Amino acid sequence: MKNTHGFGGFVGFVRFGGFGGFVGFVVLAAGCHRAVAPPPSDPMLDAIRAEERTAGLSYAEGQGRQLFGQYCSTCHGDEGKGDGQNASNLNPAPPDFTTSKTMKDAAYVRRVIAEGSAAVGRSPLSPPWGKSLRAQEIEYLVAYCHALASKKS
Amino acid sequence: MREPQIAPPKLNVTFAVLGIAFLAIFSWVFFHEEGAEWRSAQSRFRQIEVRVKNPHQLAQAAEVGGLRQIWLPELNRVDRCTTCHLGIDDPAFVNAPAPFTTHPGTWLTTHPPERFGCTTCHDGQGEATDVEHAAHRPTELFDRPMRPLETIEANCGTCHRSLDPPEAPRLAEGRRLIVASGCVSCHDIPGFEGMTFSGPALDSIGNKIRPAWLGGWLHDPKSYLPNSKMADFRLTPNEIASLQAFLLSLRAQLPLDSTGVRWNRANTDAGRALFGELRCVTCHAIEGRGGTMGPELTRIGDKVKRDWLFSFLKDPHRAQPATAMLQYRLTDDQLRDLTAFLLEEYRTGDAGPEPPPAPADPLAIAAGRETFIRRGCASCHHLAGIPDSGHLGPSLAGVADRDPEQLTYGAPGVRRTIENYLFLKLEKPDALVQPSLMPTFHFTPIQAADIALALTGLRKTELPASYVITHDPPPAYTPAGPFGELATRYRCMSCHSVNGSGGTLSTVPFDRIGSQLQRDYIATYLMNPGAVRVSVEARMPVFHMLKDEAQTIATYFDSVFRDAAIDTYDTQFSPADERRGGELYAQFGCAGCHQLNTKGGYVGPDLTDTGRRLKPGWIAAWLASPEKYKPGTLQPDYGLSAADVRALTAYLSGLGRATRTTPVTKPGGPVSR
Repeated sequence: MKNTHGFGGFVGFVRFGGFGGFVGFVVLAAGCHRAVAPPPSDPMLDAIRAEERTAGLSYAEGQGRQLFGQYCSTCHGDEGKGDGQNASNLNPAPPDFTTSKTMKDAAYVRRVIAEGSAAVGRSPLSPPWGKSLRAQEIEYLVAYCHALASKKS
Repeated sequence: MREPQIAPPKLNVTFAVLGIAFLAIFSWVFFHEEGAEWRSAQSRFRQIEVRVKNPHQLAQAAEVGGLRQIWLPELNRVDRCTTCHLGIDDPAFVNAPAPFTTHPGTWLTTHPPERFGCTTCHDGQGEATDVEHAAHRPTELFDRPMRPLETIEANCGTCHRSLDPPEAPRLAEGRRLIVASGCVSCHDIPGFEGMTFSGPALDSIGNKIRPAWLGGWLHDPKSYLPNSKMADFRLTPNEIASLQAFLLSLRAQLPLDSTGVRWNRANTDAGRALFGELRCVTCHAIEGRGGTMGPELTRIGDKVKRDWLFSFLKDPHRAQPATAMLQYRLTDDQLRDLTAFLLEEYRTGDAGPEPPPAPADPLAIAAGRETFIRRGCASCHHLAGIPDSGHLGPSLAGVADRDPEQLTYGAPGVRRTIENYLFLKLEKPDALVQPSLMPTFHFTPIQAADIALALTGLRKTELPASYVITHDPPPAYTPAGPFGELATRYRCMSCHSVNGSGGTLSTVPFDRIGSQLQRDYIATYLMNPGAVRVSVEARMPVFHMLKDEAQTIATYFDSVFRDAAIDTYDTQFSPADERRGGELYAQFGCAGCHQLNTKGGYVGPDLTDTGRRLKPGWIAAWLASPEKYKPGTLQPDYGLSAADVRALTAYLSGLGRATRTTPVTKPGGPVSR
């Protein structure tokens, strides 16, 4: 009797356990279902991110690219290769930023942009922009120059 | 029988339970507060601070402890972000990990936290002191989670309300597109008040266009002009047919009489030469290349009738009083050659003879008129007898504060934000609400995103005036008298501006032109405008202006558009000044950008005849502060001393003059250091 009772208790325990396991599974499944549901889409943000992905540039680098196009590309070329439309008129010719090591030195690049290439002992042909551009704009240009030098192509 | 004593033990139990509960709550509060996220953040910050600062800096560093907040009663904000973001204004933490790292860029200099807080730009819940409740990421719980960097410029627009906000290219592009797409014709948009957008006058369109062209245009304007200003109204075939009947019946004005023109003698080669000489491409593109002020002409031969084009070229202002196009001074033979060239060269195939006017069907015309009014055509095309449709669309004031839950998104799974709603609406206006009167603009995704971003800055909240930066549109400039007549005929203000009013195509505003340019040079230049800057594609048209007219304009400029600050410059230069100026010209590498006697670069203007072209006072003013006169100019501000400015001015104003004060050794030679 005691054994039977004990056995019945065991069966009850197993049954209860099975039921509990089932409930647990359902809860877990529901939880998992919630977890795998895709997050809501952000089409507007996706459009901007797709644009930035295509350019392969961060926000700051993208800003720098625009400024580069306005102020620098006439001589340095759209992609910084030193092949702008005015490059052939310059001696020394503008360097190729994409293979330049100094372009990764932010402090150096900042100085050349702000004070001109003469300030670092080179030719005066790259003029100083420190009085025309805001500090933030120069930071963007420094970021873009770094991106140009880091580009693998 | 003994009274059952139940009450006392129950009370005991209650007290016991309460006691334990209080103890539990007390301990929970104690440990919760002691273990708050921000406390552990602050202790981590102290560990990093010891590493990144030297003992001297550490001694000077302020003690960090407790909750920190920026209270901005004017903006109704309390931002506690700096409780954890402790290194935000300290350059020593530039390489420290989040949340302690220094704020990038120079933004905190231009927007000091004690005046702007953090959430003014970034959004998020400023009062929260833990990561989750501060809404660092999009969440269902909070209306305004922190903005990702990609859309942060929307918040710039809340304070910066001018059309061209600095350092916010997405916002600026969005606002430019709002203007260029004519959104203001149908929507009331704060910041764009008073702006108008209009298409050509249609009162004689029946005499202007070939009927076959009109159907295709109404069906899909982009098929004729890829950059069409007119959007796609998704018209039904019935609407198109009735609109065609209505528009072709509009013949208020006949073209100018061209019966005397001998078309059989038309010389298309002479027309082609004129097309180049008149600089038509400054405003009109051919196959995508050229200006955008006028319509592209690649297929003009498919569109317009010969007599109308002849008449329009002869006097554009008669048929289209609001046009930006100038009236050239051409003979009838020249006009004939140009007309013949345009119609012959720029067409898809032989258009065949012009068909006679179709018999008018009064019913179709009436139906077309009804469609014209219903679809809001009159919002852009003013037509006698038809009232301006006004703003058919809803006002966009405070659109950013609309409840995102109340809007439709057209598809499931879209995060319900005002940005996403605006973006989807701009991409496909008829996908969200049907039927929609809003035309389809065929924006690219990034264009739609930029416009949505610009509109997201339009908040209902009133800001204190000290935070708002506006740029009121300048009053329109309409000159009178003989100069006014010439300015109207040659449409000077389509490209040039006075006091910010007018066109932006030209780089030379009139404001101080009399103090900048020599009077004789102006008169000569107007007669035969050449290229001052060889690298600039947009050129001044060759007007075929009469000599008297050129003199009238030059005299007017020289007497009216003066700037006393420039005129008072002492122009008695010493030979030493001039000599030193020549040396400086070489030293600064000016020849890198400027031509001088056929040597040098071609970024800036050719300086060979500067002395005949520019007045010395202007050379000095320009060299001293170019950004002041032309923001964004490629002329760098070298920070020149007054003496250096004077020397360069002496040298430059001597260039190209018949008589020199002194012989000057030219820097010459190849450009080198």
